[in-house]
Amino acid sequence: MTAPAHDLVVRGGLVVDGTGLPAFRADVAVDGGRIAAVGAVRGRGRTEIDATGQVVAPGFIDPHTHFDAQLVWDPWAKPAVEHGVTTVVPGNCSLSLAPLRAEHRAKLVGMFNQIEEMPLLAFERGIDWTWESFPDYLARLRRHLSINVAPLVGHSLLRLWVMGDAAMERTATPAEVAAMQALLRDCLAAGAVGLSTSYVDMDERLQPVPSRLADPAEVDALAAVLGEFGRMLQIVPEFYDADLMIARVDQLAELSLRHAIPTTFSPLFVAPDDRTGPERVMARVDEQFARGARVWPQVQTRPIDISFSFAVPSLLFFRMPSWYRLIRFGTPEDVKAAFTDPERRRALVAEAQILEPLWLKVVLRRALQPDNRPLVGLTLAQIAERRGTTPVEAMIDLSLEEDLDAHFLAADMGHNDDARVGALLAHPRVHVGASDGGAHILSFATYGDTGYLFSRFVRGTGALSLEGAVKKLTADTAAIWGLFDRGRIAPGLAADLVVFDPDRIDRGEEVYVHDVPGDGWRYVRGSRGVACTIVNGTVAWSAEGGYAEARGAILPGPQPGAATWALAAE
Amino acid sequence: MADLRPVRRWVSPGPGEGFADIARRALPDLPEAEAVGRLQSWNLHVFLRAPAPPGSPRAGNPVLPSDVIFVEPPLPA
Repeated sequence: MTAPAHDLVVRGGLVVDGTGLPAFRADVAVDGGRIAAVGAVRGRGRTEIDATGQVVAPGFIDPHTHFDAQLVWDPWAKPAVEHGVTTVVPGNCSLSLAPLRAEHRAKLVGMFNQIEEMPLLAFERGIDWTWESFPDYLARLRRHLSINVAPLVGHSLLRLWVMGDAAMERTATPAEVAAMQALLRDCLAAGAVGLSTSYVDMDERLQPVPSRLADPAEVDALAAVLGEFGRMLQIVPEFYDADLMIARVDQLAELSLRHAIPTTFSPLFVAPDDRTGPERVMARVDEQFARGARVWPQVQTRPIDISFSFAVPSLLFFRMPSWYRLIRFGTPEDVKAAFTDPERRRALVAEAQILEPLWLKVVLRRALQPDNRPLVGLTLAQIAERRGTTPVEAMIDLSLEEDLDAHFLAADMGHNDDARVGALLAHPRVHVGASDGGAHILSFATYGDTGYLFSRFVRGTGALSLEGAVKKLTADTAAIWGLFDRGRIAPGLAADLVVFDPDRIDRGEEVYVHDVPGDGWRYVRGSRGVACTIVNGTVAWSAEGGYAEARGAILPGPQPGAATWALAAE
Repeated sequence: MADLRPVRRWVSPGPGEGFADIARRALPDLPEAEAVGRLQSWNLHVFLRAPAPPGSPRAGNPVLPSDVIFVEPPLPA
């Protein structure tokens, strides 16, 4: 028997190559982590994958995640790979795990806990903190990585490194701005894909994150460094107000034009009470593109569903200050005491009226007490009727009965108008993002947006074609982010591939799993209809075999002119 | 280059500026108290912000250097 001609051959699939052009039947051969041939491949592969009846597409790229911490203990960023995702972008929203001095670790973890709703104990038990510099952080990730990572550098981290605690109180001096520029330059040379900043987020004290203390001149100076590398600036704008979003679009456009950089903002939501906001923002984006600026909005595919219990804080309660402060800063005993005390309970119930009629449709999704288990799946309105009380009172009673471990689901909170969301997703200047993968792990499953794009907006509403949806998740995102050897199926490019059934691909049911360091839980979704995911030529996950070791890369990786210590870490 | 359509006008705060400082330069024809009141009503995202902690150099001024401050009401639809 002759030796295999190729490392891997994906045979007989319908190739959707990422360009948006019509699908075609072909084999894909892979050697040395790169695509070797696309066509009728005669030679045998050491590994053969039968893709008959399936689509073969470039691996999906998720540009808005918070997998920073998870990647330290989970090299696949589970379950992202299972959904066909081969590249993730962590470090969004001004927060990354480096560069970070040891004395600021507690501060950073507090911000991740507050903003991204990630458990403190997971950081304590899951992270070894073997780094301070950005190159050392990348070296730590490279030790065990089965998905590609294109990391952003957090603006708040640059400020903390250079300014210390003053980063949270004031603008930077010219010398401090210059130091931040030098630090960012080192990070980009070592392999960062860009810089992230935030105009909305609050830290663990409910005070603005450090990036919000920067004046426009500081951001301009950092954008100038991005321009040296042609790298991305990501921002979180005030997504609740279209006029503020438009102002941020204009700011980004000026930075893009002045420094020749791509910029992106996320999220852009369709809110039920705003009939024109996203459309007005997109009109401004179109105008700025016509000037030659690059301001790429990110739109998520899934509607906003929020799960919550009263054991951990939830952003759902942000508009109810007494509730939010109680859950955010109180212990479980404090919460139970407030729910039990008649006077405090009356005040809480009164404040909850601000979110009426939300409570009527909130569903009990988890209860462990025998008397309550039959109520799982019912709305608070239904439960309240059975108990002869109000929905909010029923929610409080259930929480006390379950020792705060009753879980509730507020579904379809927004971004659920398929016609408007579909039109946004199909817009040529929108790319699919804002999944928030790895964050908000007790509020919702931030996984499966890719499958949902196909089930809802390709097979369901027809807002996008199969080829158009694949292009959005692959070639478009790769080009926008400057990942030029990713996102398409063509000889010579990196062999990041996903094989899926176009009639079945979807996100699975949201489930509650116990796989977070520190005895922690989270909500996740598995995939449906995905056969396998290939990262740099190696199967990283398959429906038959589960997760397998692959060799993920840091993208774009060290750049020309990189410091020698950065290259040495490669 | 394509022209941009008018959008709601805004300014960035200068170093250390609060509402009164911005009112003096952005709405110079109005009495200061009235100008401040208008700015606050057009910028609730800033005016209603949680106060800085006691002892902070930001105490007493809700305006952040990164803020967008509108200097006119929302434009008609």
